[in-house]
Amino acid sequence: MKKVLALLLAAMMILSIIPMATAESTDSVGVFEADGYTYGEKFWSDEPVTYTIFFSDASWYPMVDTWKTEGVFEQIRKATNVTLDITSYDSNDYMSLVALDLGTDRCAYIIPKVYDESGWVDGGAILPVSDYVDKMPNFTWFYNTYNLKADVDTILRADNKFYRLPGMHQAALQDYTLMVRDDIFAAAGYDVKELEKTWTWNDLCDILIGVKKYMVENGMCEESDYIWSDLWCGQSGQGSGGYLCKLVGNSYDVASGWAVGNGLRFDFDKDQWYLSSTSENFKEFVTVMHRLVAEGILDPETFVQDDSVANDKFFTGKSVIQGFNRSQLVTWMDGLNKGLGEGNYSVYITVYPAGSNNYVAENTRLENGVCISKGALEALGEEGFIKMMRFVDWMFYSDEGYILTKWGPEGETWEYAEENGVKIKKLLPGFKCGGLGIAGSDEDVDIRLKWGYACGNYFYAHSNALRGDNLPAVVQDYDIRYAEYRDQMPLSPATVLTPEEIESTGLIQADLIANINAWTIQFITGQKDIEADWDAYVQSCEEYEAEELVKTYNDAYIRTKGE
Amino acid sequence: MAKKPVVNHMGKRETLGRHIIKNWQLYLMLLIPVVYYLIFRYTPMAGNVIAFRKYSAGGEIFGSGDWTLRFFDFFGKRRFRLTLLNTLRINIKYLLVRFPATLIFALLLNEIHHLRAKKLVQTVSYLPHFISTVIVVGMIKELLSTSGPINALIALRGGAKISFVMKPEWFDMIFVGSGIWQALGWGTILYLAAISNINPTLYEAAEIDGASHFQRVLHVTIPCIMPTITTLLILDIGGLVGSGGAFEKVQLLLNGNIKDVADILSTYVYDLGIGSKTPSYSMATAIGLFEGLVNLILLTIANLVSRKTAGSSLW
Amino acid sequence: MNRAEVKGTTAIHNNPVRIRESRGYRTFTVFNTIIMILISAVTLYPFLYLAAQSFSSQEAIRDGLVSIWPVGFNIDTYETVLKKGDFIGYYGNTLLYTAVGTTFSLLLSAMLAYPLSKKSLRLNRFLTPFIVFTMYFGGGMIPNYVLMTRLNLIDNLAAFVIPSLISTYYVLLMKSFFAGVPSELEEAGEMDGLNKFGVFFRIVLPLSMPIMATMLLFYAVGYWNNWFNAFLYIKTKAKWPVAYYLKTIISGTNDATQASESGGSIAANLKSCCMLLMAVPIICVYPFIQKYYVQGMMLGGVKE
Repeated sequence: MKKVLALLLAAMMILSIIPMATAESTDSVGVFEADGYTYGEKFWSDEPVTYTIFFSDASWYPMVDTWKTEGVFEQIRKATNVTLDITSYDSNDYMSLVALDLGTDRCAYIIPKVYDESGWVDGGAILPVSDYVDKMPNFTWFYNTYNLKADVDTILRADNKFYRLPGMHQAALQDYTLMVRDDIFAAAGYDVKELEKTWTWNDLCDILIGVKKYMVENGMCEESDYIWSDLWCGQSGQGSGGYLCKLVGNSYDVASGWAVGNGLRFDFDKDQWYLSSTSENFKEFVTVMHRLVAEGILDPETFVQDDSVANDKFFTGKSVIQGFNRSQLVTWMDGLNKGLGEGNYSVYITVYPAGSNNYVAENTRLENGVCISKGALEALGEEGFIKMMRFVDWMFYSDEGYILTKWGPEGETWEYAEENGVKIKKLLPGFKCGGLGIAGSDEDVDIRLKWGYACGNYFYAHSNALRGDNLPAVVQDYDIRYAEYRDQMPLSPATVLTPEEIESTGLIQADLIANINAWTIQFITGQKDIEADWDAYVQSCEEYEAEELVKTYNDAYIRTKGE
Repeated sequence: MAKKPVVNHMGKRETLGRHIIKNWQLYLMLLIPVVYYLIFRYTPMAGNVIAFRKYSAGGEIFGSGDWTLRFFDFFGKRRFRLTLLNTLRINIKYLLVRFPATLIFALLLNEIHHLRAKKLVQTVSYLPHFISTVIVVGMIKELLSTSGPINALIALRGGAKISFVMKPEWFDMIFVGSGIWQALGWGTILYLAAISNINPTLYEAAEIDGASHFQRVLHVTIPCIMPTITTLLILDIGGLVGSGGAFEKVQLLLNGNIKDVADILSTYVYDLGIGSKTPSYSMATAIGLFEGLVNLILLTIANLVSRKTAGSSLW
Repeated sequence: MNRAEVKGTTAIHNNPVRIRESRGYRTFTVFNTIIMILISAVTLYPFLYLAAQSFSSQEAIRDGLVSIWPVGFNIDTYETVLKKGDFIGYYGNTLLYTAVGTTFSLLLSAMLAYPLSKKSLRLNRFLTPFIVFTMYFGGGMIPNYVLMTRLNLIDNLAAFVIPSLISTYYVLLMKSFFAGVPSELEEAGEMDGLNKFGVFFRIVLPLSMPIMATMLLFYAVGYWNNWFNAFLYIKTKAKWPVAYYLKTIISGTNDATQASESGGSIAANLKSCCMLLMAVPIICVYPFIQKYYVQGMMLGGVKE
């Protein structure tokens, strides 16, 4: 208890600069205790008990027997006396196969890694978990301490309950940004550290034109070469323009790329939803993106290529700017050292530019979450069910559960160490973890591959301190700069759709968004002209019933507001 | 073909009872397969009622709520029209290339007089037919990847690398090309069989009449195998709306960048149902019903036409 | 006289059936030979490429150095795949499913096709449409899934085999072959005191080796390559067939959120190795029954 509080206190001190939705005193934290089960207390079942659980198995770190016999699931059993009976599905087919099992005897009690449960609510196969959160002190503590009401309200369903226990972040995670070769930028006369404070995407384009000019003059590239060939926009962008369109689009109040969602944004002035993809802002967004391509800066292959192709270009110095996220730092440093030689380059993780607004793209503090099947309540009975919910609470929301599933047991895979006067977690010698961005030699044992720690089925959302406990200082540093230079985007108001509305908008959405994505890329790469083809584009969106979508959301919003 | 008349040896028409008693063993043989069809083919058809009643994941299997026709609204959906057109387009393109290609390949194969060489080429060309779609798609992705041999060739000639599987303009080429790769050899079997059935005296007569080799092919071979050609063509045309074997391949090749051109009816149905985060099983079923109906009509017509014109049919 | 005769040079005169070769025809033969070689090469190249990749180093593949021959030759990939155990397990499953499935499929299909081929059987008027109808209409995925779960046909051999147990198309092929078996032979058998089962097993089946061998191959290949049944009905990873395993590693990741999660991907040489290992048995078997399936296709195919 003390340890946990101390840790949290430390976390608050270090990261208090990071903006929260609304800063409030942490005194009114609500339910700490429920039926004698106190926050922070170790969950323990007096008699051995087995719960069924689904598992989304990633083919690039597949579950192996050692996970159960000595790894994460055995450790969970040791810690709680709970044996998890796992039904594992390949991550590609996970949602489809779980949906098939819903409502049947085959459905596991605990369904983790759910991004969207809205299609499941109407069938009655999953429970309104909000009815049980008062039995979940860790959840409640986190929810109250970090004021997550507004966030969680966004997943309320028509009965004003929520059906998914969401992963929750203390602060929204701005995981994606840009890294630049600041040595070349500096040589061309640009000081990124100064520029990043206020630059816009148009400024970045001007700067890159200057950088390229310098590179051509010094024989570092040809006039015909692109100096920015990015990843996460091609294969992994799934045709949406991936991370880059998400970031740039957001700077102009447009939902795009990975964040395209249903294409809607909320207009706080007019107090209504609108389709951002056909707004004037959208024109601004694709215009600046197209400018990058037209000026010979951004490689149009960005939107189709393999991530590895982009990496190779960056590692060999052909491109001087590329997308960044915290989990792959080790891979990049390795690649750069191999490609360019250590000491021959310098890379700076920058705050990405602003646009017509000064917001960072990430504003939701929710992650994928856990659903609970109706079968659990039927099979376990009220009492047994509440006990299971306490276990879920421990596994997914307690610090202890988080640390155990992420790092393994203290003293076996990792230990605390002091670094620059800060207490940090360190893997023991002989271990590494690609998933945590901790490199090692070929002989070292990867704790994720071998034992299943740090795998994507448990939350990566948690308090800032714990979420970032595997990251080097250089990564934590840009979080702080973001907080300083950029603003947090306000949350859109809760809008609760009925099951019928979910179905009808679901039908419209998938097709409309595919259309919008295709046009977005064509505008950016210049296959379509933003002025000449604009009407045809808007027309095509209308044919995909865009108006109906907007209307449904606004009706639902007015209804929700009235309640 | 000699067939026993439906009249028994006493010249009288059998009564039903006698018929069954006489053939009880045959009926017994049918028992298990027929029960199989009833359970595993016909019982699930009852589930098609969800095209008229809403089904939600985990809900009642025959749906719940009011009976409705709203799930047939898909006719108004742009995506439905798009996928229908895509299905037709890739099927027609594939047919237009595959059909002459297999015919020509069969004719060329027939001109190989070295029997062992001919057999070897045949054996090799049948191989892709047996290869799983998963492997075919795996091969496509490997061969066409930016580090693959095709791009290496392009790079060698100074060209820019192309991400083939991500480019809409290359999809048809990939689909048709890989299809030909799989079907070319296999498609020749029936032609070669028909050619081998041609009476050699026809060739001799043509030769005596002074026909050149090419003329003999044109005036003897092709007319003789015309019934086979027509039958196959009619049946192929009958299958144009169906997704047939295309589903697996397209589903495995599909990505967001090529969705506009590669999305076909069966992938749409898949997307609506099992592939969606907010599935509409009911509409997926409605489209499935529509697809089955169209195919049934088209193939029945094709079968009838084939029986009338070429005297042969599938059933 | 025609050109062929005039220009004919080495026409073989002692064999009038043999077509005389003109110069034009010889040129054509050369071209034809080249075309045949090209087609064979194109057909085989993807396999060679997979083989080359599977023996190459990951770096060489990434840099695009591999075309026909392995670069950075090693057999590590094979060691990894074969030692890891999973793959061998999947392989064993595939073998088992294929063997059992093919046996039952052949048996049941023949039991259906033979009576169907008897025009004298009155039920056939209804039976043919009864089975043909199912080629176009099915119950869709959900009803099928519900049925299978209710029958507890989940996660076992039967669950993999039963959905594909009888192919209507193949039954129709077999039916038309059986119909071509001379009825005199069957009658002779009945005269000798065989009952209808006896006629079927002792007379018809032995005469139907071509179609049976063909169907054996078709069904076996069907089971061997099938991943969809496993996707729906095989839940335990240890029971997967190779095809589904391949599907999971080839389709990679489809979900943007997952793609970004860890940037994971599976090495090309590993994929190639698995693909090749899966294809090998088929490559080894199909040439030896070629005689049969060619005959089977001809006789059972679009004829009668």
